[in-house]
Amino acid sequence: MTLIKTENLWKTYTMGSEKVHALSGVTIDIKQGEYLAIMGPSGSGKSTLMNLIGCLDTPTQGVFHLNGKNVSSMNDDELANIRNREIGFVFQTFNLLPRATALHNVELPLIYNGTQAVERLEMAKLALGKVELEDRMYHKPSELSGGQRQRVAIARALVNNPSLILADEPTGNLDSKTSVEIMKLLNNLHDQGNTIIIVTHERDIANHAHRVLSILDGKIDKDEIINANQRNGVH
Amino acid sequence: MVIGSILKIAFQSLLANRLRSGLTLLGVIIGVTSVMTIISALEGMMGGVEKQLDRLGPSTFIASAMGGVITSEEQFREMLKRKPIDLDLVDEIKESCDLCEKICPRAFDRALIKYRNNSLNRVSVLASTYNFLDIVDIEVAQGRYHSHNEDNLRKQVVFIGEQIRETLFLGVDPIGKDLRVDGKKYNIIGVAKKMGSMFGQNRDNFVIIPFSTYKKNFGKPRRNANFVIKARSVEQLDEAMDQVRLVLRSNRNVPYNKPDDFTLITADAILDQLNSITRIFRMGMVGISSISLVVGGIVVMNIMMVSVTERTREIGIRKSIGAKQKHILLQFLFEALVTTLGGGLLGTVSGFFIAKSLVAMIDMVISPSMVAISAGLIISTGIGLVFGIYPAMKAARLDPIKALSYE
Repeated sequence: MTLIKTENLWKTYTMGSEKVHALSGVTIDIKQGEYLAIMGPSGSGKSTLMNLIGCLDTPTQGVFHLNGKNVSSMNDDELANIRNREIGFVFQTFNLLPRATALHNVELPLIYNGTQAVERLEMAKLALGKVELEDRMYHKPSELSGGQRQRVAIARALVNNPSLILADEPTGNLDSKTSVEIMKLLNNLHDQGNTIIIVTHERDIANHAHRVLSILDGKIDKDEIINANQRNGVH
Repeated sequence: MVIGSILKIAFQSLLANRLRSGLTLLGVIIGVTSVMTIISALEGMMGGVEKQLDRLGPSTFIASAMGGVITSEEQFREMLKRKPIDLDLVDEIKESCDLCEKICPRAFDRALIKYRNNSLNRVSVLASTYNFLDIVDIEVAQGRYHSHNEDNLRKQVVFIGEQIRETLFLGVDPIGKDLRVDGKKYNIIGVAKKMGSMFGQNRDNFVIIPFSTYKKNFGKPRRNANFVIKARSVEQLDEAMDQVRLVLRSNRNVPYNKPDDFTLITADAILDQLNSITRIFRMGMVGISSISLVVGGIVVMNIMMVSVTERTREIGIRKSIGAKQKHILLQFLFEALVTTLGGGLLGTVSGFFIAKSLVAMIDMVISPSMVAISAGLIISTGIGLVFGIYPAMKAARLDPIKALSYE
């Protein structure tokens, strides 16, 4: 079943009198349960595509369907609703609230969809359990290692059982050993049936996915399937 | 549910920045305190005046040559030219004014009073008839007031205020003792109940002697004379005043086309006039003190703007995980409101106590007023809304992508 379908997606920015096309007619189809990597050098348009897929932005032109809903014409609040229920973000810089505990950071998405406090706590603890951080739930981000912070961010992405986990350079701020741990965690989440999209510029990281989309100058340059023997990690 | 959680988030944010929140709170407290001090003090003072005037009672009026609230120099000069009220008219008024229940001529002077070797200078000497205490609210604490008979027989009796007892008769029962008023001997028959001070003036520093005795000893009263008259009912007050007016006009030979050359005053009329005269002054005072409130509001707005800028990334994070514009707006608005409401509460309380100590200097007591408390809370909520809405809207409208990449 198709989860994401984009048709002729354009994103154009006006810089003074000049128009810059960050995306130039991107058409992609991503199925539920897929493990996809979007690759490309900086300035290729991969972050713009991630922002559109993550419903943080709307296209200048073209249509984007997520889970059968046309999100390209939604307003800010409707997009916020989609981000809350359908998408779980994992950022390169973790993006955790520094003054909140790991538990509070994880329960944050549930606050905005009106989940009751008791249920919220249970769900947040469960999500922290999935990333093996139950024993650190009352610690603040500054009291956690980089890998632990990223695991809190993954737990926050998981807590609402979203249709899609969108990871933007998830290992960009981590050392190689911790990067392996985080990628292992993402591989496991995929094995459990989650749809995962990783945005990266590293081939090693992209090779954990089953499919790699290469972007260049705002267009799809390559769309390749990664065979089991080419893949990084065991899954 | 969401609103409750957002309110909690707002509280936590304020607590996380204690010093900043405290300083903002201080700005609001100072602003609200200054306005509340003025409002409470003015309200207390007007209340005091009202209470003082209420002593006359709603159906009582005073007929005097001068009096009321003087609003211009011309009016004052015109009043100075007026003939004194002839207190011998009492019988004529009694006969012609059937709507007047009680009529008391009243004269007053200042004199030296003496008991043995102790003396008091410039004590208020009041003179009136036996029924005076039925109209004014002076009450008897000890002994009695003079009788009709004593009035008729020009007896040398005196009824004294509490201040006189305290000063001249400490530890001594004053009843039956002889007091010298302006050199003449009077027998003390009663002591009035303490009335306390008002506007810095001691209201217990008086003696009352029978009206006829006054005339005998001090002569016919001239300037300091008037009638205190009680109408049969509040409804008949206007008609009773008209009856008295007719008698006075004919006695004073006022031509039909000329205005009265005397004044009939009721407590309500004085209060109305006083209210209208002081309204602009009171509004001015509140207006001037409101400047500090505006400054307090600007402090709130400034801090909120800094807070929004500083927490741009936090806003981006919240938006990326599903916070809608209204959630962000409410969070920042709640922060502003909690600060201003907290400041408003503390400011209202401190304003009341400052006002209380200020009016205590003029011997007045004020009690917490619902008007002042509500005004304080409404004003502080208003400040929170007015000065908090712009930063909150700015936060709510932030683009999540730009906010997330904010360094």
